[in-house]
Amino acid sequence: MSAQIAKLARVLVLLVVLGGLYVLAIHKHEQRETLRRADVALTPGCADKLARYGLVAGEHYQSPYVLAKDGVAAKLRGYTQPDVRAIQRGCNIIDDTQGHFARDTGLERWNSKRFIRGSHTSCDHCHQGIGDKQDAEGNRLKGSLSLAASWAMADMYDRFTGLLLPYELRQMQCYINSSNGYKPNISDDLIRDVTAYSRFLSAALDLKIGNHYDEQGVDEIAASATVKQGDDYIRGEALYKDKCQSCHGRQAVGTVADGRVIAPALAGPNAWNMQSRNYFYYVSTILPGFICRNMPLGQENTLSNQECRDIAYYISNLPRPAGDRQGPLIALQNQFLMAVMPPLMRLTESQTKDPAPAQHAAGAR
Amino acid sequence: MRLPALALKDKAAVAQYWPQLQGHLALGLTLALVTLPQAVAFSVTLAGVPPHFGIYAAIWGVLFCSLLNPSRVFHGGPNTAMSATIGVTLLPLAPPFGAEYMGYALTLGLVAGLIQMAFYLVRPLGRMLDLISEPVINGMICGIGLFLIFKSITTFGGLPLNTEVEWPVWIAWQSLLAVLEIGNMQAIQVGLITLIACVVVQQFARLRKWAILIGIVAGTLYSEYLSATVGLENTLIEQIGNLASIGLVYPSLPLFNQEAMPDVIALVPGAVTLALLGLFQTVAAMRRMNRKVGGYTDSRKAIFSDAVSNCLLPFLSSLPTCASFNRMWLVNQLGIHSRIAIASSALWLLVLVLFLAPLIAVIPMPAMAAIIMLLGANMIQWEDIKPHFKDRREAVVFTASFLAVLLLDLFSAVLVGSVLAIAYSKWAQAHPNISLRGNVLKLRGNLYYGSLPVVESTFHGAIARTRDLIIDFSDCYYIDQEGIRWLAATKTKHKITFTDRRSGSERRQGERRVTGARKRIAGRRRDRPDRRQRSEF
Repeated sequence: MSAQIAKLARVLVLLVVLGGLYVLAIHKHEQRETLRRADVALTPGCADKLARYGLVAGEHYQSPYVLAKDGVAAKLRGYTQPDVRAIQRGCNIIDDTQGHFARDTGLERWNSKRFIRGSHTSCDHCHQGIGDKQDAEGNRLKGSLSLAASWAMADMYDRFTGLLLPYELRQMQCYINSSNGYKPNISDDLIRDVTAYSRFLSAALDLKIGNHYDEQGVDEIAASATVKQGDDYIRGEALYKDKCQSCHGRQAVGTVADGRVIAPALAGPNAWNMQSRNYFYYVSTILPGFICRNMPLGQENTLSNQECRDIAYYISNLPRPAGDRQGPLIALQNQFLMAVMPPLMRLTESQTKDPAPAQHAAGAR
Repeated sequence: MRLPALALKDKAAVAQYWPQLQGHLALGLTLALVTLPQAVAFSVTLAGVPPHFGIYAAIWGVLFCSLLNPSRVFHGGPNTAMSATIGVTLLPLAPPFGAEYMGYALTLGLVAGLIQMAFYLVRPLGRMLDLISEPVINGMICGIGLFLIFKSITTFGGLPLNTEVEWPVWIAWQSLLAVLEIGNMQAIQVGLITLIACVVVQQFARLRKWAILIGIVAGTLYSEYLSATVGLENTLIEQIGNLASIGLVYPSLPLFNQEAMPDVIALVPGAVTLALLGLFQTVAAMRRMNRKVGGYTDSRKAIFSDAVSNCLLPFLSSLPTCASFNRMWLVNQLGIHSRIAIASSALWLLVLVLFLAPLIAVIPMPAMAAIIMLLGANMIQWEDIKPHFKDRREAVVFTASFLAVLLLDLFSAVLVGSVLAIAYSKWAQAHPNISLRGNVLKLRGNLYYGSLPVVESTFHGAIARTRDLIIDFSDCYYIDQEGIRWLAATKTKHKITFTDRRSGSERRQGERRVTGARKRIAGRRRDRPDRRQRSEF
């Protein structure tokens, strides 16, 4: 008899747990639904950007950009209110992935932080200008990782695996770069909103599907694009100290002021991981390409190809998190290195004759 | 048991055999339905080959194994870890789903089968697989059980599978959050209805063997109701889909041409992993399950059946086969132990695919995920785990292999657990029980290179205090060459006596075994004396 009661109790506990989870799911779904219906509080950057692109809901959409550039007023199919909100949310996620401008980060940025390691990373760090970097004349810049041009190349074949990659899966690559061990599900709102925003940019800039644009992706720099001196991280360190250190700090762990990221980490716990394609030892052409075309800010395209490769080499030598697939042992080893190396380096540098200038030491945290 | 076909001759015989036959067929159908979604999922999401690879493995692999393997609870077919290994090995070589990739997958299976054959032919290699202890296997079973639950969460919530991920515990938590936040509510309802129907039906002893089938039917009916009222285009519930084009058999040839040779050589390490992974699981699962039902099957027979099946399957465009913990657990749980039932599961699947494809096409995936979750939960049985926590060493080995499944993978779970278990047993051997009473130093245990330092330390302590030391070997049953050299050297340097206080006849018997008529007790030991009985004095 008591055995039967125990059995009954077990079944009841299971039913209660399942019921509880179901109710929780209903609650979470409602929360999400209200969020998707609510007006979007734009970040200052996005408010400016979307105003410039003239995004409003309506029957037709006319791009001010195309009008200014070509003098043609092309009428496109308009956006509904839900479309506009999705685009706005996508823009917010790109501009402010960590949710510094949001009242409730977890909800408003739709948990984008959950899938990103550390407190620095924002989409905007690589996809500069909120995903569409332009100079003062409105020229889109070569190798600037434009989301708009990326959308125009949506559903292209992956170079490495030969698989057809939908735009959603290509966003997944970004999460692998700076992942926290889990990527958002492919049908997550995070992915959908960013897709909506990229698609909007592409249409607003009048980019045509399937074309290749200069601003698409990184202008990769292979060793063959140099004078073949061989890459050298010693030269890279000297260059880093000269060109990068004033913003990114002595140990390249980034600069933060008042809780805002001034310059993101290039190494250490807040940086991209060892399975990222930004990691020089994994793919040696992408990070140099990014540096040459996008860095230092305001002096883009001033570094030579070899210099970019050297800097990238140096940066990739600094300790950073292990990738998700490298297993717990390597993760542990890297955590150890990240904890030990910066103080050790500070110690050895304080012993050398040429101590760091004061402003550098302040930036190094 | 007579073949059911013979029993169909007259109605009386049918009536006589019907209850038994009914059980067999129910088990076969349940197994077939449980294998089907696993077969599709493993081949498409893990191995990167079309679904018919998995289904042929579930038909022909299961059939070959049930014919070749004498165990009454053995269920072969596609396997998670093996499929994942195929994907990981081949991804750098060719794009998935391509002709070349499929050719390599077949080659990989064949090479693995040949390696397994080597394990059958070289006896000591096969014997090494027996060094996996029960706590290791139980730790793995519990780990796999949890892993199955975790893996099914996304499908349960109607979300696409995240294939870019590794660490199961972390993924489980994130998947749960994803299901709660963005899961497809209708899919969740279908899954819940299946799960609850199964659990409730299981409580009635008479209906137990039908529980899973009833659960699937309940889930399918509800999903059909939703499709009729809301429409499938709105519910977006994933279904198994029409497999009618798969057919009876699809011959294939592994890729072995001149240009492919560098790649074929590159996949040999993967093939070794695949072969070992399969054999480990087969031997471990079979031993565990046979003991549970009170039977015994020589592991060599299982290795032979796996090796032969895996050498044949690449010619039938199929994934390799090995034991499936979860399905064997199901066989055990439903209480029907017969190779007929297991073979019938393969035939049921064939019938389903050939004739009832439109019917199984509408089975919703969330319902199948619910069933797999239930299987996983049933694999974790406190009665099996409890004994391991009575002994500290077993507890450590069990916990280590359990955690290794969750944090690392199956293969490392086997390695971690086995290394720990072997280390423990070596440790015990290296510490013989030594007692010093008066001037008698009595040794209980082995005297070999590992235990020698322990013996030496006591010996030198004793020799400093006692004169005329006597070393008693009565309970010492093995001395290796190093021990003999040490004893000889000590004898010349110190004044000691060796004794063996066993009775004269016992000792003579031992000596006769060493020198006289060599009667083999077990195993092949051509001209060597039987070590277990050997006395060096």
